[in-house]
Amino acid sequence: MADPGRITEVELERALRDLGPRYPYPPTPNLASRVRQRISAQPVAQPRRLELWRDPRRLALVAAVLLVLLGGAALANPATRDAIAHFFHVRGVVVSREASPLPSLSPVTPLDLGRRTTMADAQSRVSFTIGVPAELGEPDAVYVVSGIPGGEVALAYTPRSGIPLVKQTGLGVLISEFRGDLLPGFITKSAGPGTTLEEVSVNGDRGWWIAGEPHMIYVQVAGKDQMETLRMAANTLVWEHAGVTYRIESGLSKADAFRIAAGLP
Amino acid sequence: MEGRPLDDLALVERAKNGDVNAYEALVQQYQQLAFRVAYQVTGDAAEAEDAAQEAFVNAYYALARFRTGAPFKPWLCRIVANEARNRRTSARRRTVLAERALVGQSSGDSAQSPEAAAEANEFRSTLVATLRTLREDDRLILAYRLFFDLSEAEMAEALDCPRGTVKSRLSRALGRLRAALPADIRMPLAAGETDG
Repeated sequence: MADPGRITEVELERALRDLGPRYPYPPTPNLASRVRQRISAQPVAQPRRLELWRDPRRLALVAAVLLVLLGGAALANPATRDAIAHFFHVRGVVVSREASPLPSLSPVTPLDLGRRTTMADAQSRVSFTIGVPAELGEPDAVYVVSGIPGGEVALAYTPRSGIPLVKQTGLGVLISEFRGDLLPGFITKSAGPGTTLEEVSVNGDRGWWIAGEPHMIYVQVAGKDQMETLRMAANTLVWEHAGVTYRIESGLSKADAFRIAAGLP
Repeated sequence: MEGRPLDDLALVERAKNGDVNAYEALVQQYQQLAFRVAYQVTGDAAEAEDAAQEAFVNAYYALARFRTGAPFKPWLCRIVANEARNRRTSARRRTVLAERALVGQSSGDSAQSPEAAAEANEFRSTLVATLRTLREDDRLILAYRLFFDLSEAEMAEALDCPRGTVKSRLSRALGRLRAALPADIRMPLAAGETDG
């Protein structure tokens, strides 16, 4: 650094700009015709958004979810109703309230976290940078679901001192991260009467704290068949930042969940 | 280069509605960029070609989720880079030497003396070889800014990071490139003075 003749960063930047047009790239292949062939063989026709409304089964499903939402909203107090009106502000996430858990879901529904893998592999399969909370450090297990747009990862932490076991999951903390713009995918969390729902600010972004009795999360990515996942959740903190939805599920208090969230985007 | 051809918006909208011709036109327009971004990641022509082709196909089927009016270029870059990362193999190793040879051949600065041109070429060769030793993230961010002329906003989208961090990441990458260069390397007079 003391070397006065040493190339400076400004010079280096100039040198790179100069190199750009001369960079020894191999000749660009003609991709257009091959891409055309491939997409012609399997036309996309219309945006997937519309398929939801075309398929009667999906339509019925959406109608059922909307009924739950509306019914829940009618029962809820004004603050919650107001909160529900805002739920689309966390893109891809719908928080709903209903009088009782959905009957078809059993507490023994196995967790479907995806494929277990390494952090490096998970990172290569999702389109966002995986956040690992400093408070918890490296997870005990990493799962990836790559079949959905942008991918989804789940970071699992086993119970330890200060992190109680969540009976429904057998885990201490479960952190899920996925692209929040998986339109028209949405998540409903049906909250029983013993559950509180609170709009919160997480690191400056709008989020939700959902606490109390165990409740279900229902994930559906429409436009792709059989992409639903059922998962038990305990207390949940969910928010979106820069197009990615983060969800912390644990038996921890709100303050502790926020401490974990502070180490995430 | 903050803007983009108005055509992009129209082509994307048409492609969204299933217009294959419109999408083919987009591929024509961006195939060189896509291939070169992929090549920066893989360092291998065949891998880069596969990655770019796959990225265009995937992007087509993902268009439904593409926000109307958003810039196509950085979004495509992100998909291409992801595809390329997934494909990168041991092919990286065989590239460095080949590139050293190639730089010399590919630049023809006729206005320079043979000595100056040779010096500039040697410098560029070293630069290319050193770039290839960098972490892929660093190489990509330098390439986005200095080779492909993406704006900061476009880089944030392409790198999927907050816009506020682009400058500092770029600066760190530049610093690491500088540190990785041979200590005795000097800026040749010829390099950087001619526009490509």
